[in-house]
Amino acid sequence: MPWETSHAPRQHELDACVTCGLCLPKCPTFRLTGSESASPRGRLAAMSAVASDIAIVDSRFDEIMSFCLQCRACEPVCPSVVPFGRAMEGARAETAAQLPHRARKLRALLLGPNGLGSRAAVRVATLLAAVGQRLRLDKLPVRLMTRISGLRRIPLAPQSHLGVLRSSVGERIGSIGLLAGCVQDSWFGGVNDAAVELLARAGYDVHVPTGQTCCGALAAHDGAVAGAESLAAINAAAFSEYDLVVATAAGCSAHLAGYSEWTQSGAAVEDRARDITVVIADAIAAGRLPTLPPRNQEVAIQDPCHLRHAQRIINEPRAIVRAAGYVPVEIDPDGMCCGAAGIYVLTNPETSDELGNKKADQVRASGATLVASANPGCEMQLRTNLGTAYEVKHPIEIYADALRSSYRAAGA
Amino acid sequence: MSFAADLRAVLADDQVLDHPLDLHVYAKDAGVTPGIVAAVVFPESSEQVAAAVKIAAKHEVPIVARGAGTGLSGGAVPTRPGLIVALTRLNQIEEVDEAARTAWVGPGVINLDLSAHTMPLGLHYAPDPSSQSACTIGGNVGTNAGGPHCLAEGTTVSHILALELITAEGEIVMLGGAEPDPLGLDLVGVVVGSEGTMGLVTRILVKLTENPPEVRTLLLAFDSIEAAAAAVSAVIAAGVVPAAMELMDQPMIEAVENFKSCGFPITAAVLIAEVAGHPAAVDSEAAVVAQAGRDAGATEIRIAATEIERDLIWLGRKSAFGAVAYAAPDYYLHDTVVPRTRLVETMSAIYEIGARHGIQMLNVFHAGDGNLHPLVAFDAKEPGMLERVKAAADEMVRVSIGVGGALSGEHGVGLEKRDLMGEVFSPMDLDAQARLREAFDPKGLLNPDKILPEGSRCYDFGLVANLEPDSLK
Ligand SMILES: Cc1cc2nc3c(=O)[nH]c(=O)nc-3n(C[C@H](O)[C@H](O)[C@H](O)COP(=O)(O)OP(=O)(O)OC[C@H]3O[C@@H](n4cnc5c(N)ncnc54)[C@H](O)[C@@H]3O)c2cc1C
Ligand code: SF4
Ligand code: SF4
Repeated sequence: MPWETSHAPRQHELDACVTCGLCLPKCPTFRLTGSESASPRGRLAAMSAVASDIAIVDSRFDEIMSFCLQCRACEPVCPSVVPFGRAMEGARAETAAQLPHRARKLRALLLGPNGLGSRAAVRVATLLAAVGQRLRLDKLPVRLMTRISGLRRIPLAPQSHLGVLRSSVGERIGSIGLLAGCVQDSWFGGVNDAAVELLARAGYDVHVPTGQTCCGALAAHDGAVAGAESLAAINAAAFSEYDLVVATAAGCSAHLAGYSEWTQSGAAVEDRARDITVVIADAIAAGRLPTLPPRNQEVAIQDPCHLRHAQRIINEPRAIVRAAGYVPVEIDPDGMCCGAAGIYVLTNPETSDELGNKKADQVRASGATLVASANPGCEMQLRTNLGTAYEVKHPIEIYADALRSSYRAAGA
Repeated sequence: MSFAADLRAVLADDQVLDHPLDLHVYAKDAGVTPGIVAAVVFPESSEQVAAAVKIAAKHEVPIVARGAGTGLSGGAVPTRPGLIVALTRLNQIEEVDEAARTAWVGPGVINLDLSAHTMPLGLHYAPDPSSQSACTIGGNVGTNAGGPHCLAEGTTVSHILALELITAEGEIVMLGGAEPDPLGLDLVGVVVGSEGTMGLVTRILVKLTENPPEVRTLLLAFDSIEAAAAAVSAVIAAGVVPAAMELMDQPMIEAVENFKSCGFPITAAVLIAEVAGHPAAVDSEAAVVAQAGRDAGATEIRIAATEIERDLIWLGRKSAFGAVAYAAPDYYLHDTVVPRTRLVETMSAIYEIGARHGIQMLNVFHAGDGNLHPLVAFDAKEPGMLERVKAAADEMVRVSIGVGGALSGEHGVGLEKRDLMGEVFSPMDLDAQARLREAFDPKGLLNPDKILPEGSRCYDFGLVANLEPDSLK
């Protein structure tokens, strides 16, 4: 048996590729290298080679798979609808299982229930990062610290949203369980503030259940199968009772949409999972949230891959920014990955930087100094690469800010 | 030194691949037949291409150029352990001359990227194969690629002014020139469409075409293929050469609608026609097309009123291939050309062949120039299916040739149609082609086994014996 795990690339997924090559130009790693081995078609060919016993899972296979950003830009253009992201998670599960070297073990630990999935561990990491920011450790030539400089100012004792309960304002539409997100909850609290406030205004009872944990996306992307499975099981139980399960980070909502892979009761989560941008844009379209007066300022739209490519959510962030009164401006017709890609910034720093710089150049060329990005990983990457002259916010924060100031103006 | 060690001596580590897994990855293009690869190199300059060619020549390893690998005839895969020269990193758009409407580009530039780049100048690169978002200009030169808009503009060969070529000996030569009709032999014409058998193209001077100030896109529905074909002939007879004329049959329309919902009428045939030019001209030309359609019995005629409507019509046409990939596990895409006047009878013959072999067929074609693209949708896992598909394919090509057509409209001969060359060309023709090829590649190292079947060279043809290789250079 060439494969060892139940998540391995499946024959029907591999057979779906008709090798047309239409995905190649959309793939960032192919664009950077010009190499078939760094392309979606090439990666599928390598998986097929293992599946048919022509090749084995060795260090070269690992390199080919690890170089993939898992941005899924290859999916929407594929005429044969190859589920590439799924197959790649399977390939990662295999390299993790078959080549368990030390670095990967450490990563699996960090990404599993005792790492990102543990509130205590995240709190310690957050405190360290906050202290690091204040001591200006980012001036040190340490990669991680440079990344921290790309964060907003991290509070020393972040206010977690876990346990928050807010009733709907006005007519009740339904109930929402909000996935706080491990990174979002600690470092980007403002996004969850905006989410709770807007969802309640839009007619939802909002609850951020305490029984939840990290969604497990990073673990799944890295092949840390056991971690991804146990995190998914915990969340499936914690979110069993709500009409909708909403995530404020695109990476999390995309992962929830594929939960049936990771836990038995996952299908029930999948059906109810929504990205926050979809729920808010729907509420605006239905008139349950107001459209605010125009303010003639431009906002550069950065499409997180797990929103645009994985979930094909393109119009919603623009609609939200427009409803906030701003003029959305396009920066990249292909929506190419900014290079953050979860832990890719740490595992493949050069490629990540190259893509991050390209994205920053696209933002600069647009002339806008406010950027809308619906995923914390992208936000960090943009902040790192753009510097302090630019502001990066989640589209719902931009909208919530505009809404609050319109109320203040009305009150005054 | 070993072959790979020799390559690494002149190229950086990230420019050479020879791990068995990488060699397997490079063993295929978009066609169906895999090849055998010895090593892959990624040169970043003409000099590096030349150096790699010299090393391969020294080791007598076959050399195969590769662009994006979207070729459908196995052109970019070696038949025996060969060196793949991936030209993807030669992707610079070097000089755009707005006044002369030309640009020097690297072979690795993606077709659609070039048009996007020159868009602000109101110019575009005219040949528009359906794979244009992915395929490279170098690959287009290799296969003499065509597309819907080549009806009025001509295929790739009409848009290439000059080429820098790395010869089989690893020398860098320049063919053609900026002037429209340079003196001497048309060597550019020899290289375009030669599928990497005459040398490796490293720089290309392309013609750019002015974006038409006005276009009108029409969609005409017919209740038979014959009626649609008659409309096509009537348009041409009326002296109008539309920018594009594309025909789709009912199975194809249904597949496309199922895949993308572009609002096409579900009927026996849909003809898409586009006229381009000056505002006054396009309206009268559109009127001619519409009249020809009415005379041929069109059941519906739409003229796109907005850019969005136009895009939707083209989305439908350009999704044809995707629709089939979406609907069936495997597909086989044919590509032959028949005289336009014999279109209808060829189509009936092709439907008959499909029915006899029990295979599902969908048709889309460049009706204006008689370029047929029957797509066969099948499941290779069904026992005996592949054999049936291949047998039907052979028959279809023979039928097209029988009515005076060509073997390949635009995808190239490569490996897949090589053995049918004898159906079109006499032994003497094949010999002449083999000699021409020898003139460029005396040792037979450039993409060997492609295009010409074995035994094409007949040494006892006294007639052409005095055509010595050197006299062609
Ligand atoms: C979905 C789809 C739709 C298509 N539609 C069309 C269409 O409408 N019209 C059409 O004509 N074709 C079409 N094709 C076929 C294909 O896209 C064309 O043949 C294209 O020109 C190949 O370009 P490439 O860069 O992929 O070249 P490759 O496939 O890499 O190579 C093609 C050939 O050119 C040679 N070559 C490549 N680069 C060079 C170079 N620099 N110097 C010398 N030789 C070179 C190769 O050795 C090979 O023989 C389609 C293919 C697909 C998958
Ligand atoms: S997921 Fe992204 S990086 Fe990976 S193959 Fe697809 S497009 Fe390329
Ligand atoms: S677009 Fe889809 S079918 Fe085509 S090569 Fe890429 S993955 Fe395969």
